[in-house]
Amino acid sequence: MKFRCEREILAEALATAGRAATGRTGTLPVLSGLRLELSGDLLTVTGTDLDLTIQLDVTVGGERDGGVVLPARLSSDIVRSLPAGKVELDVADDDVRISGGRSQFSVRPLSLDDYPRLAAPASSAVTINAAAFGEALRQVVRAASTDEARPILTGVLLAAENDGLRLVATDSYRLAVRDLPGVSVLGADQKVLVPGRALNELQRVLGLGEELVLRLGERDATFEIGATRLTTRLIEGEFPNYRQLIPASHPNTLTVDREPLLEAIRRVKILARDATPVRLQISADALKLTAITQDVGNAVEELDATATGTDLTVAFNPDYLASGVEAVGAEQVTLSTIDPLKPAVVRGVGSDDYLYLLMPVRVP
Amino acid sequence: MRLVIARCSVDYAGRLTAHLPEATRLIMVKHDGCVAIHADGGAYKPLNWMNAPNTLADRGDHWVVTNPKGETLTITLHEVMSDSAHEFGEDPGLQKDGVEAHLQELLAASPQAIEDGLTLVRREYPTAIGPIDLVCRDTGGQVVAIEVKRRGEIDGVEQLTRYIDRLHLDSSLGQVRGVFVAQVVKPQARVLAEARGYRVVEVDYDELRGMRPDELRLF
Repeated sequence: MKFRCEREILAEALATAGRAATGRTGTLPVLSGLRLELSGDLLTVTGTDLDLTIQLDVTVGGERDGGVVLPARLSSDIVRSLPAGKVELDVADDDVRISGGRSQFSVRPLSLDDYPRLAAPASSAVTINAAAFGEALRQVVRAASTDEARPILTGVLLAAENDGLRLVATDSYRLAVRDLPGVSVLGADQKVLVPGRALNELQRVLGLGEELVLRLGERDATFEIGATRLTTRLIEGEFPNYRQLIPASHPNTLTVDREPLLEAIRRVKILARDATPVRLQISADALKLTAITQDVGNAVEELDATATGTDLTVAFNPDYLASGVEAVGAEQVTLSTIDPLKPAVVRGVGSDDYLYLLMPVRVP
Repeated sequence: MRLVIARCSVDYAGRLTAHLPEATRLIMVKHDGCVAIHADGGAYKPLNWMNAPNTLADRGDHWVVTNPKGETLTITLHEVMSDSAHEFGEDPGLQKDGVEAHLQELLAASPQAIEDGLTLVRREYPTAIGPIDLVCRDTGGQVVAIEVKRRGEIDGVEQLTRYIDRLHLDSSLGQVRGVFVAQVVKPQARVLAEARGYRVVEVDYDELRGMRPDELRLF
Protein backbone atom coordinates (compact mmCIF):
# COMPACT_ATOMS: atom_id res chain seq x y z
CA MET A 1 0.00 0.00 0.00
CA LYS A 2 1.31 3.40 -0.95
CA PHE A 3 -0.36 6.78 -1.23
CA ARG A 4 0.14 10.52 -0.95
CA CYS A 5 -2.23 12.88 0.77
CA GLU A 6 -2.37 16.40 2.17
CA ARG A 7 -1.17 16.37 5.76
CA GLU A 8 -4.27 18.17 7.11
CA ILE A 9 -6.68 15.71 5.49
CA LEU A 10 -4.84 12.61 6.70
CA ALA A 11 -4.29 14.03 10.19
CA GLU A 12 -8.00 14.83 10.50
CA ALA A 13 -9.00 11.36 9.29
CA LEU A 14 -6.64 9.62 11.72
CA ALA A 15 -7.79 11.80 14.62
CA THR A 16 -11.50 11.24 13.89
CA ALA A 17 -11.25 7.46 13.52
CA GLY A 18 -8.77 7.37 16.39
CA ARG A 19 -11.47 8.48 18.80
CA ALA A 20 -13.06 5.05 18.47
CA ALA A 21 -9.78 3.16 18.85
CA THR A 22 -9.12 2.20 22.40
CA GLY A 23 -6.21 2.20 24.80
CA ARG A 24 -7.99 -0.41 26.87
CA THR A 25 -7.46 -3.27 24.50
CA GLY A 26 -7.77 -6.20 26.89
CA THR A 27 -7.23 -9.37 24.90
CA LEU A 28 -7.24 -7.63 21.51
CA PRO A 29 -4.25 -5.26 21.33
CA VAL A 30 -4.97 -4.58 17.64
CA LEU A 31 -7.91 -2.40 18.74
CA SER A 32 -5.42 0.27 19.70
CA GLY A 33 -4.76 0.62 15.98
CA LEU A 34 -6.45 2.12 12.95
CA ARG A 35 -7.06 0.06 9.84
CA LEU A 36 -6.18 1.79 6.59
CA GLU A 37 -7.42 0.22 3.35
CA LEU A 38 -6.49 1.67 -0.02
CA SER A 39 -8.38 0.88 -3.19
CA GLY A 40 -7.45 3.07 -6.13
CA ASP A 41 -7.61 6.62 -4.82
CA LEU A 42 -10.00 5.79 -1.99
CA LEU A 43 -8.48 5.39 1.45
CA THR A 44 -10.76 4.00 4.16
CA VAL A 45 -9.69 4.62 7.75
CA THR A 46 -11.36 2.61 10.53
CA GLY A 47 -11.11 2.77 14.31
CA THR A 48 -13.14 0.62 16.68
CA ASP A 49 -13.34 -0.59 20.24
CA LEU A 50 -16.05 -3.07 19.18
CA ASP A 51 -18.76 -0.92 20.80
CA LEU A 52 -18.16 2.14 18.68
CA THR A 53 -16.73 2.20 15.17
CA ILE A 54 -15.77 5.31 13.22
CA GLN A 55 -14.93 4.83 9.58
CA LEU A 56 -14.24 7.46 6.96
CA ASP A 57 -13.30 7.63 3.31
CA VAL A 58 -10.65 10.00 2.09
CA THR A 59 -9.58 10.66 -1.48
CA VAL A 60 -5.83 10.34 -1.81
CA GLY A 61 -3.27 9.90 -4.57
CA GLY A 62 -3.15 6.12 -4.54
CA GLU A 63 -0.13 4.29 -5.94
CA ARG A 64 -0.42 0.74 -4.62
CA ASP A 65 -3.54 -0.85 -3.10
CA GLY A 66 -3.40 -2.69 0.19
CA GLY A 67 -4.17 -2.55 3.87
CA VAL A 68 -2.37 -1.95 7.14
CA VAL A 69 -3.13 -1.41 10.82
CA LEU A 70 -1.24 1.51 12.35
CA PRO A 71 -0.94 2.37 16.06
CA ALA A 72 -3.66 5.04 16.34
CA ARG A 73 -2.11 7.54 18.70
CA LEU A 74 1.40 7.23 17.30
CA SER A 75 0.45 7.56 13.65
CA SER A 76 -1.85 10.49 14.41
CA ASP A 77 0.93 12.25 16.35
CA ILE A 78 3.42 11.63 13.56
CA VAL A 79 1.21 12.91 10.75
CA ARG A 80 0.15 15.96 12.73
CA SER A 81 3.77 16.84 13.46
CA LEU A 82 4.92 16.71 9.84
CA PRO A 83 5.41 19.93 7.91
CA ALA A 84 2.38 21.17 5.98
CA GLY A 85 2.02 19.75 2.48
CA LYS A 86 2.00 16.28 1.03
CA VAL A 87 2.50 13.26 3.24
CA GLU A 88 3.46 9.90 1.85
CA LEU A 89 2.66 6.59 3.45
CA ASP A 90 4.38 3.51 2.14
CA VAL A 91 3.90 0.02 3.55
CA ALA A 92 6.73 -2.39 2.90
CA ASP A 93 6.96 -5.75 4.62
CA ASP A 94 7.17 -5.14 8.37
CA ASP A 95 7.54 -1.42 8.11
CA VAL A 96 5.34 1.57 7.44
CA ARG A 97 7.20 4.64 6.24
CA ILE A 98 5.49 7.95 6.84
CA SER A 99 7.25 10.91 5.30
CA GLY A 100 6.61 14.57 4.65
CA GLY A 101 9.01 17.36 3.71
CA ARG A 102 12.41 16.12 4.82
CA SER A 103 11.06 14.09 7.76
CA GLN A 104 10.78 10.36 7.65
CA PHE A 105 9.31 7.99 10.21
CA SER A 106 9.30 4.25 10.23
CA VAL A 107 6.61 2.50 12.27
CA ARG A 108 5.93 -1.15 12.99
CA PRO A 109 2.34 -1.98 12.02
CA LEU A 110 -0.06 -4.09 14.08
CA SER A 111 -1.39 -7.37 12.72
CA LEU A 112 -3.89 -6.80 9.93
CA ASP A 113 -5.16 -10.37 10.30
CA ASP A 114 -6.11 -9.74 13.93
CA TYR A 115 -8.22 -6.69 13.13
CA PRO A 116 -11.87 -7.63 13.65
CA ARG A 117 -14.16 -7.95 10.66
CA LEU A 118 -16.94 -5.46 11.11
CA ALA A 119 -20.51 -6.28 10.14
CA ALA A 120 -21.99 -4.41 7.21
CA PRO A 121 -24.56 -1.79 8.23
CA ALA A 122 -28.25 -2.47 7.76
CA SER A 123 -29.48 -1.88 4.24
CA SER A 124 -32.60 0.12 5.08
CA ALA A 125 -31.76 3.76 5.49
CA VAL A 126 -33.55 6.92 6.56
CA THR A 127 -32.28 10.40 5.76
CA ILE A 128 -32.77 13.23 8.24
CA ASN A 129 -31.63 16.82 8.55
CA ALA A 130 -28.22 16.79 10.22
CA ALA A 131 -28.48 20.24 11.79
CA ALA A 132 -31.87 19.57 13.42
CA PHE A 133 -30.75 16.19 14.71
CA GLY A 134 -27.50 17.72 15.95
CA GLU A 135 -29.40 20.39 17.89
CA ALA A 136 -31.60 17.73 19.46
CA LEU A 137 -28.53 15.75 20.47
CA ARG A 138 -26.96 18.87 21.96
CA GLN A 139 -30.01 19.34 24.12
CA VAL A 140 -30.48 15.75 25.23
CA VAL A 141 -27.17 13.86 25.43
CA ARG A 142 -26.04 16.05 28.33
CA ALA A 143 -28.60 14.38 30.60
CA ALA A 144 -27.32 10.87 29.90
CA SER A 145 -25.32 9.24 32.66
CA THR A 146 -21.64 8.44 32.32
CA ASP A 147 -21.77 5.93 35.16
CA GLU A 148 -21.16 2.52 33.59
CA ALA A 149 -22.65 0.92 36.70
CA ARG A 150 -26.08 1.72 35.26
CA PRO A 151 -25.58 1.06 31.54
CA ILE A 152 -29.20 1.73 30.60
CA LEU A 153 -28.84 5.33 31.77
CA THR A 154 -25.75 5.88 29.65
CA GLY A 155 -27.95 5.65 26.58
CA VAL A 156 -30.25 8.06 24.78
CA LEU A 157 -33.67 6.68 23.97
CA LEU A 158 -34.81 7.24 20.39
CA ALA A 159 -38.52 6.51 20.21
CA ALA A 160 -41.25 6.96 17.63
CA GLU A 161 -43.68 9.48 19.07
CA ASN A 162 -46.83 10.59 17.25
CA ASP A 163 -45.56 11.61 13.81
CA GLY A 164 -42.04 12.26 14.86
CA LEU A 165 -38.98 11.19 16.77
CA ARG A 166 -38.43 11.66 20.49
CA LEU A 167 -35.03 11.69 22.17
CA VAL A 168 -34.85 11.07 25.92
CA ALA A 169 -31.94 10.83 28.35
CA THR A 170 -31.72 10.72 32.13
CA ASP A 171 -29.05 10.16 34.75
CA SER A 172 -31.68 9.90 37.49
CA TYR A 173 -31.04 13.47 38.67
CA ARG A 174 -32.35 15.12 35.50
CA LEU A 175 -34.22 14.15 32.40
CA ALA A 176 -34.10 15.75 28.97
CA VAL A 177 -36.81 15.16 26.37
CA ARG A 178 -36.74 16.58 22.84
CA ASP A 179 -39.32 16.03 20.14
CA LEU A 180 -38.50 16.24 16.46
CA PRO A 181 -41.92 16.43 14.83
CA GLY A 182 -42.15 15.08 11.30
CA VAL A 183 -38.90 13.13 11.58
CA SER A 184 -39.81 9.59 10.80
CA VAL A 185 -36.92 7.28 11.58
CA LEU A 186 -38.50 4.42 13.48
CA GLY A 187 -41.50 2.22 12.93
CA ALA A 188 -44.61 2.78 15.03
CA ASP A 189 -43.83 2.22 18.73
CA GLN A 190 -40.24 1.28 17.87
CA LYS A 191 -37.54 2.47 20.22
CA VAL A 192 -33.79 2.01 20.49
CA LEU A 193 -31.25 2.94 23.11
CA VAL A 194 -28.11 4.48 21.64
CA PRO A 195 -25.00 4.96 23.83
CA GLY A 196 -24.52 8.61 24.78
CA ARG A 197 -20.80 8.30 24.09
CA ALA A 198 -21.49 7.42 20.43
CA LEU A 199 -23.88 10.35 20.10
CA ASN A 200 -21.29 12.69 21.59
CA GLU A 201 -18.88 11.55 18.89
CA LEU A 202 -21.61 11.90 16.30
CA GLN A 203 -22.11 15.52 17.31
CA ARG A 204 -18.47 16.21 16.50
CA VAL A 205 -18.84 15.07 12.91
CA LEU A 206 -22.37 16.28 12.21
CA GLY A 207 -21.08 19.57 10.82
CA LEU A 208 -19.50 17.66 7.92
CA GLY A 209 -22.75 17.38 5.95
CA GLU A 210 -26.30 18.57 5.64
CA GLU A 211 -27.91 15.17 5.61
CA LEU A 212 -27.58 12.35 8.08
CA VAL A 213 -28.35 8.81 6.98
CA LEU A 214 -29.44 6.48 9.74
CA ARG A 215 -29.36 2.71 9.35
CA LEU A 216 -30.85 0.74 12.19
CA GLY A 217 -29.87 -2.87 12.59
CA GLU A 218 -31.03 -5.32 15.22
CA ARG A 219 -28.09 -4.73 17.53
CA ASP A 220 -26.45 -1.65 16.11
CA ALA A 221 -27.08 1.68 14.48
CA THR A 222 -25.03 3.35 11.78
CA PHE A 223 -24.98 7.09 11.19
CA GLU A 224 -23.54 8.31 7.90
CA ILE A 225 -22.60 11.91 7.39
CA GLY A 226 -20.71 12.78 4.24
CA ALA A 227 -17.89 10.27 3.93
CA THR A 228 -17.92 9.43 7.65
CA ARG A 229 -19.74 6.44 9.12
CA LEU A 230 -20.25 5.93 12.82
CA THR A 231 -21.56 2.58 13.97
CA THR A 232 -22.53 1.90 17.55
CA ARG A 233 -23.77 -1.08 19.43
CA LEU A 234 -27.23 -0.48 20.84
CA ILE A 235 -27.84 -0.84 24.56
CA GLU A 236 -30.17 -3.69 25.44
CA GLY A 237 -32.64 -3.24 28.25
CA GLU A 238 -35.71 -1.36 29.32
CA PHE A 239 -35.38 2.40 29.63
CA PRO A 240 -37.04 3.78 32.79
CA ASN A 241 -40.65 4.81 32.42
CA TYR A 242 -39.84 8.50 32.14
CA ARG A 243 -43.38 9.66 31.39
CA GLN A 244 -44.48 9.07 34.97
CA LEU A 245 -41.68 11.33 36.20
CA ILE A 246 -43.01 14.41 34.44
CA PRO A 247 -45.54 16.16 36.69
CA ALA A 248 -48.88 16.85 35.02
CA SER A 249 -48.97 20.42 36.29
CA HIS A 250 -46.88 22.91 38.22
CA PRO A 251 -48.52 25.57 40.39
CA ASN A 252 -45.50 27.90 40.29
CA THR A 253 -43.83 29.27 37.16
CA LEU A 254 -40.85 31.58 36.99
CA THR A 255 -39.99 33.35 33.72
CA VAL A 256 -36.52 34.82 33.34
CA ASP A 257 -34.13 35.86 30.57
CA ARG A 258 -31.88 32.97 29.70
CA GLU A 259 -28.49 34.66 29.24
CA PRO A 260 -28.58 36.75 32.45
CA LEU A 261 -29.67 33.65 34.38
CA LEU A 262 -26.79 31.63 32.95
CA GLU A 263 -24.34 34.40 33.77
CA ALA A 264 -25.68 34.64 37.32
CA ILE A 265 -25.42 30.88 37.88
CA ARG A 266 -21.83 30.91 36.59
CA ARG A 267 -20.91 33.72 38.97
CA VAL A 268 -22.68 32.38 42.03
CA LYS A 269 -21.28 28.91 41.36
CA ILE A 270 -17.84 30.19 42.29
CA LEU A 271 -18.97 30.00 45.90
CA ALA A 272 -20.83 26.72 45.45
CA ARG A 273 -18.01 24.35 46.30
CA ASP A 274 -18.01 20.68 47.11
CA ALA A 275 -21.46 19.97 45.69
CA THR A 276 -22.98 22.98 47.43
CA PRO A 277 -26.31 23.76 45.79
CA VAL A 278 -27.43 27.12 44.48
CA ARG A 279 -30.61 28.40 46.16
CA LEU A 280 -33.22 30.17 44.09
CA GLN A 281 -35.49 32.47 46.07
CA ILE A 282 -38.43 33.08 43.80
CA SER A 283 -40.80 35.98 44.41
CA ALA A 284 -43.33 37.71 42.16
CA ASP A 285 -40.92 40.07 40.44
CA ALA A 286 -37.44 38.92 41.30
CA LEU A 287 -35.19 35.93 41.49
CA LYS A 288 -32.38 35.77 44.03
CA LEU A 289 -29.59 33.25 43.64
CA THR A 290 -27.49 32.37 46.66
CA ALA A 291 -24.58 30.02 47.27
CA ILE A 292 -23.11 29.52 50.71
CA THR A 293 -20.04 27.45 51.44
CA GLN A 294 -19.32 27.26 55.11
CA ASP A 295 -15.94 28.62 56.15
CA VAL A 296 -15.42 30.02 52.65
CA GLY A 297 -18.06 32.64 51.97
CA ASN A 298 -21.26 33.30 50.10
CA ALA A 299 -22.49 34.78 46.83
CA VAL A 300 -25.80 36.48 46.11
CA GLU A 301 -27.21 37.79 42.84
CA GLU A 302 -30.61 39.22 42.01
CA LEU A 303 -32.28 39.06 38.62
CA ASP A 304 -35.42 40.61 37.19
CA ALA A 305 -38.01 37.91 36.69
CA THR A 306 -41.73 37.32 36.76
CA ALA A 307 -43.33 34.57 38.73
CA THR A 308 -46.80 33.20 39.24
CA GLY A 309 -47.84 31.05 42.17
CA THR A 310 -46.40 31.20 45.66
CA ASP A 311 -43.01 32.53 46.77
CA LEU A 312 -40.61 29.66 47.08
CA THR A 313 -37.00 28.78 47.79
CA VAL A 314 -35.66 25.81 45.91
CA ALA A 315 -32.07 24.61 45.54
CA PHE A 316 -30.35 22.87 42.64
CA ASN A 317 -26.99 21.47 41.69
CA PRO A 318 -25.65 24.53 39.83
CA ASP A 319 -24.08 22.51 37.02
CA TYR A 320 -27.28 20.61 36.31
CA LEU A 321 -29.35 23.79 36.43
CA ALA A 322 -26.96 25.68 34.12
CA SER A 323 -26.87 22.70 31.77
CA GLY A 324 -30.66 22.71 31.43
CA VAL A 325 -30.94 26.46 30.99
CA GLU A 326 -28.12 26.42 28.45
CA ALA A 327 -29.78 23.64 26.47
CA VAL A 328 -32.97 25.61 25.99
CA GLY A 329 -32.86 27.33 22.63
CA ALA A 330 -35.00 30.37 23.55
CA GLU A 331 -34.30 33.87 24.84
CA GLN A 332 -36.44 33.35 27.91
CA VAL A 333 -36.82 30.26 30.04
CA THR A 334 -39.49 29.13 32.44
CA LEU A 335 -38.80 27.19 35.61
CA SER A 336 -41.91 25.42 36.80
CA THR A 337 -41.96 24.11 40.34
CA ILE A 338 -44.33 22.35 42.72
CA ASP A 339 -42.38 22.53 45.97
CA PRO A 340 -38.72 22.48 47.08
CA LEU A 341 -38.49 18.69 46.92
CA LYS A 342 -40.36 17.81 43.74
CA PRO A 343 -38.95 17.84 40.21
CA ALA A 344 -38.86 21.20 38.44
CA VAL A 345 -39.20 21.70 34.70
CA VAL A 346 -37.08 24.02 32.57
CA ARG A 347 -38.53 25.00 29.18
CA GLY A 348 -37.93 27.68 26.60
CA VAL A 349 -40.65 30.30 26.23
CA GLY A 350 -42.40 29.59 22.94
CA SER A 351 -40.68 26.26 22.35
CA ASP A 352 -42.66 23.26 23.49
CA ASP A 353 -40.51 20.63 21.88
CA TYR A 354 -37.88 20.55 24.65
CA LEU A 355 -38.22 19.79 28.33
CA TYR A 356 -35.55 19.49 31.01
CA LEU A 357 -36.71 17.97 34.26
CA LEU A 358 -34.47 18.57 37.23
CA MET A 359 -34.52 17.23 40.75
CA PRO A 360 -33.89 19.81 43.50
CA VAL A 361 -31.31 19.38 46.25
CA ARG A 362 -32.48 19.20 49.83
CA VAL A 363 -31.25 22.17 51.88
CA PRO A 364 -31.75 22.93 55.57
CA MET B 1 2.72 9.49 80.49
CA ARG B 2 4.97 12.34 81.63
CA LEU B 3 4.71 15.53 79.64
CA VAL B 4 7.35 18.18 80.09
CA ILE B 5 7.31 21.47 78.25
CA ALA B 6 10.73 23.03 78.56
CA ARG B 7 13.30 25.21 76.93
CA CYS B 8 15.91 22.58 76.28
CA SER B 9 18.76 21.44 74.11
CA VAL B 10 19.31 17.81 73.13
CA ASP B 11 22.40 15.87 72.20
CA TYR B 12 22.34 12.40 70.75
CA ALA B 13 25.44 10.26 70.71
CA GLY B 14 25.57 6.83 69.15
CA ARG B 15 25.81 5.80 65.48
CA LEU B 16 26.20 9.48 64.78
CA THR B 17 25.93 12.67 66.78
CA ALA B 18 23.08 15.12 66.55
CA HIS B 19 22.42 18.34 68.36
CA LEU B 20 19.13 20.16 68.85
CA PRO B 21 19.86 23.75 69.85
CA GLU B 22 18.07 25.39 72.75
CA ALA B 23 14.37 25.95 72.11
CA THR B 24 11.00 25.30 73.68
CA ARG B 25 9.88 21.72 73.15
CA LEU B 26 7.57 19.02 74.44
CA ILE B 27 9.30 16.02 75.99
CA MET B 28 7.17 12.91 76.26
CA VAL B 29 8.20 10.08 78.53
CA LYS B 30 5.86 7.19 77.88
CA HIS B 31 4.88 4.48 80.33
CA ASP B 32 7.04 1.90 78.54
CA GLY B 33 10.10 4.18 78.72
CA CYS B 34 10.07 5.64 75.21
CA VAL B 35 11.27 9.24 75.17
CA ALA B 36 10.30 11.63 72.39
CA ILE B 37 11.12 15.29 71.86
CA HIS B 38 8.56 17.21 69.80
CA ALA B 39 8.60 20.67 68.26
CA ASP B 40 5.42 22.71 67.90
CA GLY B 41 4.68 21.43 64.39
CA GLY B 42 4.47 18.29 62.28
CA ALA B 43 1.91 15.58 62.67
CA TYR B 44 3.70 12.80 64.43
CA LYS B 45 7.46 12.49 63.98
CA PRO B 46 9.51 13.66 66.96
CA LEU B 47 12.69 15.69 66.46
CA ASN B 48 14.54 13.07 68.39
CA TRP B 49 13.58 10.00 70.33
CA MET B 50 14.78 6.87 72.02
CA ASN B 51 12.78 3.68 72.04
CA ALA B 52 12.35 1.41 75.04
CA PRO B 53 14.04 -0.38 76.64
CA ASN B 54 16.25 2.32 78.05
CA THR B 55 17.17 3.93 81.32
CA LEU B 56 16.48 7.51 82.20
CA ALA B 57 18.77 9.19 84.68
CA ASP B 58 17.28 12.46 85.98
CA ARG B 59 20.19 14.64 87.05
CA GLY B 60 18.28 17.80 87.85
CA ASP B 61 19.26 20.18 85.08
CA HIS B 62 19.73 17.39 82.56
CA TRP B 63 18.48 13.93 81.77
CA VAL B 64 20.52 11.16 80.25
CA VAL B 65 18.65 8.41 78.46
CA THR B 66 20.73 5.36 77.60
CA ASN B 67 19.74 2.28 75.64
CA PRO B 68 21.36 -1.20 75.73
CA LYS B 69 23.50 -0.35 72.68
CA GLY B 70 25.12 2.45 74.63
CA GLU B 71 23.50 5.22 72.64
CA THR B 72 22.65 8.26 74.72
CA LEU B 73 20.23 11.10 74.51
CA THR B 74 21.15 14.00 76.74
CA ILE B 75 18.41 16.52 77.35
CA THR B 76 19.60 19.73 79.00
CA LEU B 77 16.74 21.58 80.68
CA HIS B 78 17.24 25.35 80.68
CA GLU B 79 13.75 26.22 81.89
CA VAL B 80 10.83 23.93 82.71
CA MET B 81 7.43 25.53 81.98
CA SER B 82 5.24 22.55 82.68
CA ASP B 83 5.75 19.08 84.06
CA SER B 84 2.79 16.77 84.47
CA ALA B 85 2.10 13.05 84.59
CA HIS B 86 -1.09 11.24 83.56
CA GLU B 87 -2.30 7.67 83.96
CA PHE B 88 -3.67 6.44 80.62
CA GLY B 89 -4.59 2.88 81.59
CA GLU B 90 -4.85 -0.02 79.12
CA ASP B 91 -4.99 1.02 75.45
CA PRO B 92 -7.64 -0.80 73.42
CA GLY B 93 -5.47 -0.64 70.26
CA LEU B 94 -6.36 0.51 66.77
CA GLN B 95 -9.60 -0.93 65.53
CA LYS B 96 -10.10 -2.01 61.94
CA ASP B 97 -11.63 0.77 59.90
CA GLY B 98 -15.28 0.51 60.89
CA VAL B 99 -16.52 2.28 57.80
CA GLU B 100 -14.83 -0.19 55.46
CA ALA B 101 -16.20 -3.20 57.29
CA HIS B 102 -19.67 -1.64 57.39
CA LEU B 103 -19.45 -0.73 53.73
CA GLN B 104 -18.70 -4.35 52.92
CA GLU B 105 -21.64 -5.47 55.02
CA LEU B 106 -24.01 -3.01 53.37
CA LEU B 107 -22.88 -3.98 49.89
CA ALA B 108 -23.28 -7.65 50.73
CA ALA B 109 -26.88 -6.85 51.62
CA SER B 110 -27.44 -4.80 48.44
CA PRO B 111 -25.02 -5.95 45.73
CA GLN B 112 -27.27 -4.24 43.16
CA ALA B 113 -25.81 -0.97 44.44
CA ILE B 114 -22.61 -2.10 42.70
CA GLU B 115 -24.23 -3.38 39.54
CA ASP B 116 -27.77 -4.17 38.45
CA GLY B 117 -28.58 -7.85 38.72
CA LEU B 118 -25.68 -8.93 40.95
CA THR B 119 -26.43 -11.67 43.45
CA LEU B 120 -24.22 -12.44 46.39
CA VAL B 121 -22.44 -15.81 46.46
CA ARG B 122 -20.53 -15.16 49.67
CA ARG B 123 -19.11 -12.41 51.77
CA GLU B 124 -15.49 -12.95 52.89
CA TYR B 125 -15.05 -15.67 50.27
CA PRO B 126 -12.12 -17.79 51.45
CA THR B 127 -8.95 -18.23 49.38
CA ALA B 128 -5.50 -19.48 50.31
CA ILE B 129 -4.21 -15.91 50.47
CA GLY B 130 -7.07 -14.44 52.45
CA PRO B 131 -10.77 -13.79 52.07
CA ILE B 132 -12.23 -11.86 49.14
CA ASP B 133 -14.61 -9.14 50.34
CA LEU B 134 -17.52 -10.19 48.13
CA VAL B 135 -18.02 -12.81 45.48
CA CYS B 136 -21.16 -12.44 43.37
CA ARG B 137 -22.66 -13.67 40.12
CA ASP B 138 -23.93 -11.30 37.46
CA THR B 139 -27.07 -11.67 35.35
CA GLY B 140 -25.13 -13.79 32.86
CA GLY B 141 -24.00 -16.15 35.63
CA GLN B 142 -20.39 -14.97 35.54
CA VAL B 143 -18.48 -14.95 38.82
CA VAL B 144 -17.59 -11.44 39.96
CA ALA B 145 -14.86 -10.82 42.56
CA ILE B 146 -15.34 -7.55 44.41
CA GLU B 147 -12.79 -5.70 46.49
CA VAL B 148 -14.30 -3.08 48.77
CA LYS B 149 -12.24 -0.20 50.08
CA ARG B 150 -13.00 3.05 51.79
CA ARG B 151 -10.39 4.79 49.66
CA GLY B 152 -9.58 3.10 46.38
CA GLU B 153 -5.83 3.08 45.93
CA ILE B 154 -3.39 1.07 43.86
CA ASP B 155 -2.79 -1.43 46.67
CA GLY B 156 -6.44 -2.40 46.54
CA VAL B 157 -6.29 -3.07 42.81
CA GLU B 158 -3.22 -5.26 43.29
CA GLN B 159 -5.05 -7.13 46.01
CA LEU B 160 -8.02 -7.73 43.69
CA THR B 161 -5.64 -9.01 41.01
CA ARG B 162 -4.11 -11.50 43.44
CA TYR B 163 -7.55 -12.74 44.46
CA ILE B 164 -8.73 -13.15 40.88
CA ASP B 165 -5.56 -15.08 40.05
CA ARG B 166 -6.39 -17.40 42.93
CA LEU B 167 -9.98 -17.84 41.79
CA HIS B 168 -8.81 -18.66 38.28
CA LEU B 169 -7.06 -21.73 39.73
CA ASP B 170 -10.54 -23.12 40.33
CA SER B 171 -11.74 -23.98 36.82
CA SER B 172 -15.30 -24.61 38.04
CA LEU B 173 -15.74 -20.86 38.53
CA GLY B 174 -15.06 -20.06 34.87
CA GLN B 175 -13.74 -16.66 33.84
CA VAL B 176 -13.86 -14.35 36.87
CA ARG B 177 -14.57 -10.66 36.46
CA GLY B 178 -13.23 -8.03 38.86
CA VAL B 179 -14.97 -5.02 40.34
CA PHE B 180 -13.17 -2.47 42.48
CA VAL B 181 -15.52 -0.62 44.82
CA ALA B 182 -14.70 2.35 47.02
CA GLN B 183 -16.19 5.54 48.34
CA VAL B 184 -13.55 7.43 46.42
CA VAL B 185 -11.20 5.93 43.85
CA LYS B 186 -7.85 7.62 43.25
CA PRO B 187 -7.18 8.40 39.58
CA GLN B 188 -4.07 6.19 39.46
CA ALA B 189 -6.00 3.28 40.95
CA ARG B 190 -8.80 3.82 38.44
CA VAL B 191 -6.37 3.75 35.51
CA LEU B 192 -4.72 0.57 36.78
CA ALA B 193 -8.04 -1.14 37.51
CA GLU B 194 -9.52 -0.28 34.14
CA ALA B 195 -6.32 -1.29 32.35
CA ARG B 196 -6.74 -4.70 33.93
CA GLY B 197 -10.32 -4.87 32.76
CA TYR B 198 -11.92 -4.31 36.17
CA ARG B 199 -14.98 -2.19 36.62
CA VAL B 200 -14.57 0.68 39.03
CA VAL B 201 -17.54 1.72 41.12
CA GLU B 202 -17.78 4.55 43.60
CA VAL B 203 -20.51 4.11 46.19
CA ASP B 204 -22.15 6.53 48.55
CA TYR B 205 -21.79 5.24 52.11
CA ASP B 206 -24.48 7.54 53.50
CA GLU B 207 -26.93 6.52 50.85
CA LEU B 208 -26.23 2.84 51.39
CA ARG B 209 -26.98 3.11 55.07
CA GLY B 210 -30.21 4.87 54.33
CA MET B 211 -29.25 8.37 55.34
CA ARG B 212 -31.20 10.96 53.43
CA PRO B 213 -29.08 12.11 50.53
CA ASP B 214 -29.23 15.82 49.86
CA GLU B 215 -29.34 15.16 46.16
CA LEU B 216 -32.79 13.82 45.49
CA ARG B 217 -33.30 11.50 42.56
CA LEU B 218 -36.04 11.21 39.99
CA PHE B 219 -36.11 7.43 40.46
